[in-house]
Amino acid sequence: MNAEAQRQRQLVALLLAERADTATLATRESASRALRGLQAYRANADASAARALGTAFPTVQALVGVEDFAHLAHEFWRFDPPTRGDLGDWGDAFASWLAEHAGLSQWPYLGDCARLDWAMHCCERAADAALDADSIARLGDTDPAQLRLRLAPGLAVLSSRYPIAMILDAHRSGDDAAFDAVRDALNAERGEAVLVSRDGWRAVATPIDTATLDWTRRVQGGVDLASAMQHADSHFDFTAWLASALSSGWLKGIDVVRD
Amino acid sequence: MPRTSVAAQRAGIGLRQPHYAEVMDRAPPLGFVEVHSENFFADGGAALAVLHAARERYDVSLHGVGLALGSAAGVDPWHLDRLARLAQRVEPARVSDHACFARAPRAGAAAVLHANDLLPIAFTDEALDILSSNVTQVQERLRRTILVENLSAYLSFADDAIAEPQFFAQLCRRTGCGMLLDVNNIMVNALNLGVANPLAHCKTYVDALPLEIVGEIHLAGYCEADDIVIDDHGSRVRPDVWSVYAHALNRFGSVPTLVEWDTDVPALQVLLDEAERASRMLAEAVAA
Repeated sequence: MNAEAQRQRQLVALLLAERADTATLATRESASRALRGLQAYRANADASAARALGTAFPTVQALVGVEDFAHLAHEFWRFDPPTRGDLGDWGDAFASWLAEHAGLSQWPYLGDCARLDWAMHCCERAADAALDADSIARLGDTDPAQLRLRLAPGLAVLSSRYPIAMILDAHRSGDDAAFDAVRDALNAERGEAVLVSRDGWRAVATPIDTATLDWTRRVQGGVDLASAMQHADSHFDFTAWLASALSSGWLKGIDVVRD
Repeated sequence: MPRTSVAAQRAGIGLRQPHYAEVMDRAPPLGFVEVHSENFFADGGAALAVLHAARERYDVSLHGVGLALGSAAGVDPWHLDRLARLAQRVEPARVSDHACFARAPRAGAAAVLHANDLLPIAFTDEALDILSSNVTQVQERLRRTILVENLSAYLSFADDAIAEPQFFAQLCRRTGCGMLLDVNNIMVNALNLGVANPLAHCKTYVDALPLEIVGEIHLAGYCEADDIVIDDHGSRVRPDVWSVYAHALNRFGSVPTLVEWDTDVPALQVLLDEAERASRMLAEAVAA
């Protein structure tokens, strides 16, 4: 390895180390001055981590508070540092890391709230897609076994043992009644299934029933419409779903697939 | 050299999220707007829509903070693909990034880490080789020349062997790229180095640059934090930095100029006032 590569590895390791220490760096500055410089870069990393994760995980940040969230961001940066130069793309592993974090047992729903935050974040960054209105007519003239539903980019479904959509809405609205409803749902151990989609530019979380959850997962899996219908829950109403899917922008088109 | 045909008599501003709506509503007269490329790498969404709207009214400069051009680990192909896609979408007046590194392998990890910061490189032949190679790769992929910005660096290395202006001169000669001269960064470095006369030091730096390489100039504010000066882009341009800017215009003539403000973002009018001051100085440079 050449000297510059070695130096760069070394500096990155010093940024991630528990304590700031420049003893191994040959700098032009005095030792105390170099230490101050390293501290500036370490502070940058902490600020970037808190800012990036705070943007992607606003509900989690609201739940634990800004200060504790910054500590979590600091810790996560060292556990799973970014590998890309777009911090909007960093945080995929944050939810599972939170779920297993020993110090967060008082918030057992935190991991699931993070999963929902991340789905919302990704949805808002997903490709923009217009409705292919003409393709909807294929429902009337084509064998369902040759049709596949094209869902909106970024659309996601999640299920949780906890009322994650209610928690998100309460923190978005700040409404006391919404927090009361969350407490009631937590006490009653009511979970939620949620569909994440975009309303304009903003992601929204819509509570759904398990039949719609299963249906959406199957459609996302790429099965044809006939198979999806065949395996749908007996309570699932395709006509009602189609109306919601068109009005809410979940469905962007219908593709004809000929074998 | 990559000096563009953008109307250089008016300065530009960094277009940041708190100002999106007001800039679109007021459409103030600006030479161009500059955005951080990485903020628009997503496949879609509101930010990208704003950028397209801004592009209809202004020239756009794509200023990256993540190419990490000085990285011995090389440029991330994913990053370069995203930048190429964005450049194709926006048709920017200029594309730029920094003479820094951020990517490095981490012990025990498969993926190369990206520190997401502008980390300093040494001014050595070896670092120049790495930077030149990466800049060439980017320019070939984008099919255009780029500008490379001088850093404000909080660490410098004992084996530095090339004076910074000469380092940039050689980089530009080898690759055909241009230099994005950040006069605030020169001042921040001078203050942190504790030179006896920071203003004279900065002017000497400017005078050591070849006339033809500077394709854009950046202006910003800095702050003093205890025993270190931080390039925080969080305040008005300091008087000493305006002096260096005047000196640079005197040397290079009218060069597209940007006023950056990234932290504690003020009311838009404050930023426009700073840009207006730069525009007046640009106009005087043209007249001269």
